[in-house]
Amino acid sequence: MSKYLTAYSIALQETLQRRATLLMDRVGGFAVVLSLYSFWSALLGGKPSFLGYTRAQMLSYVLIINMLRSMVFTGRGWLLVGEISSGRISSYLVRPLSYHGYALSLDLAQKTVHAVSAVLEIGLLAALARGEVFVPRAASSWAAFALSAAMASLIFFFLEFAVSTLAFWTSESGGPLFCFELFLQFAAGAFFPLDVLPAALRRALEATPFPYMVYFPARLLLGQISGREAAARLAAQAGWLAVAAVLSLAVWRRGLSSYAAEGG
Amino acid sequence: MPPALAVDALTKDYLSPIKEPGLLGGLRALVNRRYKSSRAVDGVSFRIEEGELVGFLGANGAGKTTTLKMLSGLLTPTSGTALALGRVPWKREPEFQRRLSLVMGQRSQLWWELPAYETFRLNKEIYGLREREFRASLDELVAMLDLGEHLSVPVKKLSLGERMRAGLAAALLHRPRLLLLDEPTIGLDVVMQKKVREFVRGYNRREGAAILLTSHNMADVVELCRRVIVIERGRLLYDGPLETLVARFADHKILRARFSAPVDRARLAELGAVVDADADHATLHVPRARTAASAAALLRDFPVADLDVADVDIDDIVRRLFGAA
Repeated sequence: MSKYLTAYSIALQETLQRRATLLMDRVGGFAVVLSLYSFWSALLGGKPSFLGYTRAQMLSYVLIINMLRSMVFTGRGWLLVGEISSGRISSYLVRPLSYHGYALSLDLAQKTVHAVSAVLEIGLLAALARGEVFVPRAASSWAAFALSAAMASLIFFFLEFAVSTLAFWTSESGGPLFCFELFLQFAAGAFFPLDVLPAALRRALEATPFPYMVYFPARLLLGQISGREAAARLAAQAGWLAVAAVLSLAVWRRGLSSYAAEGG
Repeated sequence: MPPALAVDALTKDYLSPIKEPGLLGGLRALVNRRYKSSRAVDGVSFRIEEGELVGFLGANGAGKTTTLKMLSGLLTPTSGTALALGRVPWKREPEFQRRLSLVMGQRSQLWWELPAYETFRLNKEIYGLREREFRASLDELVAMLDLGEHLSVPVKKLSLGERMRAGLAAALLHRPRLLLLDEPTIGLDVVMQKKVREFVRGYNRREGAAILLTSHNMADVVELCRRVIVIERGRLLYDGPLETLVARFADHKILRARFSAPVDRARLAELGAVVDADADHATLHVPRARTAASAAALLRDFPVADLDVADVDIDDIVRRLFGAA
């Protein structure tokens, strides 16, 4: 276990060391939040609510997206693709180390830094929005959100890992990863709540793990889902997490054996 | 004691996609990709005992790196067997990995943005070293590799030589019993090369670890390895003492003469192969058996001011061997 804690601590240092990259990432994320904020403000106009969202809820949704983007959608898939295609991965494979555990430690370090930054940014934005933000009172909403966001982060980690692992078979796995990430953000509800979509499309998406990565945890925090429905959905999310983990391990094993058989 | 490495008829085939020429070929490959199989390593067998330091030679593409990758467990062979430290390497058992190190030239395992010390700390945990072992190992490596003040500087700020030495230290902290070194001095200046070589020899002697080393740098091989294994197109070409290899290729000696008056080049050629000659100098290659007779004839029939009889340079031989492969 201590090797993964050390990896986490080193990765944390490294993320902080790359100050410029971190700053750019945050500024970029902030720009997305600001544009979503202005967009939704314009749509709401003077209306008290739009598509079932009050103004305060919609603005809160946007802020929560910032938080979830930072926690869920930060990973090092591109680095993994690079390490596999360049063969640098070899140096890890000859050491007594679980690469999955190692990669997760590094991801968690990055997620930690980004989540802390997001909290600061949200505080700033909420102060600027002067009370227009919906703040959940119920402790259960916060607890459910924390649990769901943690699972969402892990689902993303495993799925991204599986897609990046395709680099074992093709030198072009950057393509699938790019498509995956773009589609993911749309399907997860990272641009707008999925209620905005036509009912049929929304139902189709709800049969996938994607809405569990942003849309669902956000609605938990906004208090739109609670009680038994929340419990059932959390169970479904845990199911998707298990599927993602198994898939990621299976793809990794097959990738490794193909790498070992065909050479890098 | 079992050997550090026992390799028997190790064979590795690679599959690579065939790219047909032209756009049509490209489209065809999209639907129906065809592969061709090529043999990178072909029935290679050898043994290396504990404490041996062996040079592994061959031209580019001869199959050296593929062999090292199989012996470190990165690749599974198509056929054949190998035991490294008594284990099958490609099972990648932690007990085996804890006693192995693979160092691939400039490919560093160091964390780029952070001081090398952080990577050392990570390796301490990965290999499960106790604080005392880690300290002792680190102090020794730092002193031998002259790393002192470089440990606290981010790796990206180090020179290539410093980075390679730090990488070597990171790979040896856990005191591996089997060390696979792929081009350990590539890209280093002469002084640094010497340092790394001295270190490798010292490590081998001190720890009694088995080392298999590939290098295109002749000085590495000549200074470090008494035994060499040569492969060519995946096949074992030679396995034995470097001296014997040299003797096999060095079937001649070199006579270098300086003359006090101009000589006739045509007459010199009767004594041996003239490789270089001008008015007052000549270099001849003469068969070993005729060295004495040729030297005597030279002294008798020519105005020799100075004569030198030398063995063929090992560099030359190894280079010729590569050239032949």
